Amino acid sequence: MSQIFENLPVKVAELPELTPTDLQPIDKRYLKVLLIMQSIIFTLLTIGGAAIVYFSPDIEPTLLHFAYACAPTLVLWGLSAALTLKGFKKKKYALRERDLLYTKGLIWSVRTSIPFNRIQHAEVKQGPLDRIFKLHSIKIYTAGGSQSDLSIPGLPEETALRIKEFVLGKTAEDGAIE
Amino acid sequence: MEQLNNPFAAPSRQSRIAIGIILIKFIRTTIRAFWPILLSLFIGRKTGNSFEVYIGYVALAFAAINLGGSILTYFRFYFHIDENSIVIDKGVLKRSKTNIPFERIQTINFKQNILHQFFGVVSIEIDTAGAKKSEMTIDALDKEQAMAFRDFVMKEKAEKTEDQTDEQVAVETAEANSELIMKLSVSDLFKVGVSQNHLRSMGILFAFVFTTLNELTDNIEEMVFEELSGYEEQILNNTWVLIGATMLLVAIIAFLYSLISTVLKNYDLHLSLQKNGLKLVKGLLNREEISINKKKVQVISWSENPIRRMFNMWTLGLEQASSEDASQLKSKIDVPGAYMQQVEKVITSIFPAEFFRPEEQHAVSKLLMFRIILFLGVFPALIAGAILFYHFQIQALYVLIWPLVVGILSNLYYHKRSFELNEELLKNNRGTLGHIYELTQIHKIQAVEIRQSWYQRRKALANVKLYTAAGSLSIPFIPLEKAMALEKFVLYRVETDKREWM
Repeated sequence: MSQIFENLPVKVAELPELTPTDLQPIDKRYLKVLLIMQSIIFTLLTIGGAAIVYFSPDIEPTLLHFAYACAPTLVLWGLSAALTLKGFKKKKYALRERDLLYTKGLIWSVRTSIPFNRIQHAEVKQGPLDRIFKLHSIKIYTAGGSQSDLSIPGLPEETALRIKEFVLGKTAEDGAIE
Repeated sequence: MEQLNNPFAAPSRQSRIAIGIILIKFIRTTIRAFWPILLSLFIGRKTGNSFEVYIGYVALAFAAINLGGSILTYFRFYFHIDENSIVIDKGVLKRSKTNIPFERIQTINFKQNILHQFFGVVSIEIDTAGAKKSEMTIDALDKEQAMAFRDFVMKEKAEKTEDQTDEQVAVETAEANSELIMKLSVSDLFKVGVSQNHLRSMGILFAFVFTTLNELTDNIEEMVFEELSGYEEQILNNTWVLIGATMLLVAIIAFLYSLISTVLKNYDLHLSLQKNGLKLVKGLLNREEISINKKKVQVISWSENPIRRMFNMWTLGLEQASSEDASQLKSKIDVPGAYMQQVEKVITSIFPAEFFRPEEQHAVSKLLMFRIILFLGVFPALIAGAILFYHFQIQALYVLIWPLVVGILSNLYYHKRSFELNEELLKNNRGTLGHIYELTQIHKIQAVEIRQSWYQRRKALANVKLYTAAGSLSIPFIPLEKAMALEKFVLYRVETDKREWM
């Protein structure tokens, strides 16, 4: 590893490495939130497809036509549910000494790291479905636009608040400019 | 601090010229909103009709509303500076009082359109950080007053935020210390105009023509067909001549368009170095003065295209950390027509000079080139070829030229794509026909992203994206091992760096 960037004054190999044990999975209940959200959207789409067949004067409301109208959304529903189920395991976060990491993505895997001293603001949020399952998400804001903002979903209240306190404390501590 | 010498302590109005300037702003926005209606009224008028009288009334009412509105706006606009903020009190129907604390102010820029220039006033734009709704404008102020305003605010800001190191205060106001880096002469300006990206202007023109036609008629196709239907015979005979002539005409118009817009935008451009950053002044009809704070510069880029290379000219780009909704124009400042030594001067005065040196170039994987050829060259050609074959049979083979072109271009791209790294700076090299270089100080990075597609995971490759508070740098298709080493090093550097980064 050390031969990768020879010109640097520090040996990259000696820098702290992310170990797999650092990564914490998010709360399993969040999978239910995702699946319910998906169900709502796809149910509406399926009903929409059926409604077109039912109300359109040009299309006879036969069983076959209903099947044609609803099949694509049902197939898409199945596919995205499978992706959500499989991809859920990839959603992990890590709180390290000086930075915060979040990984996600089944087809495109993404790992984002934000040092505490570059965080502007952190916010704990809760959507209506989150409320039912007593879950929270934490949103991390960075400077200048929203491109590098980060949101970690599916955290129990206690964890979310603890992370927020931790992050803000660290941000103040690490962010001090000399 | 004592407020004894605050010349802006009492709420005051803008210069009287502001009425005219606000009026023009009003008229512009109304015309922009209603121009299709106005145009249709104008076209649809019939002579000797009572309709004409109506138009007269409409125009009169329109003018009266605008005039009244701008006078009221002027009289209801006050600004002053209190102990630690700029206060703007304004609004006719919806009143608002805004306090902008000094420490939130990023830059104060001046702008002059032709009216401002004629009356010797400037408009002041105060750009602030972070929060929404973060830009305030004072439409017109006498030039000397505006300068005094800016100096006073910047001095106060320095005193408030830097804990009063007298040195810093002295620095802020030291206008005398400015050193001219570059100045576009008339011939340089012409060279810049000639070497502009004319394809882009063509695109802008086409977009403009089509949206205008779209507003005027519902059916462009029908209109074109109608217009051309009389000439069918000639068209069939002279297709190639016609196409050639049209293309020539479009090319000439696009060329003139980019030449003129460049001259208007960059006329009499001056870039000068000051203790705290840079100052850019440019423009003919709209004269702008932009201050660039050294600390706020996140990314410096310089690029050229094949024509500009003949003149040895570069386009210098400075990306500044700024508020979310400040226009793109302000966070990314372009200075066209800089020579290499001027570019270097800017770089070394903003970033630590001793680290700006060539380093080992880390290439990207060759698989990137093959992927580009496959997705942008082969697949589209196969699809288009299949469709065209249905209509034209053997002539469809011409489509095969496309993947060849993509192949050549992506090869050029591949050879230019690399990145360089040392303990202070990261440089990204790219470009296809021209060159684009991007440079950032590593401690300005605020987030690191490693992204892998399913394909990249099989080949142990990754894309790295480094975000700063203004723009990001992407490095695609490097070995995963290298990507992780880069991530580790960048995080280490950011986390241990205690310098101010924006």
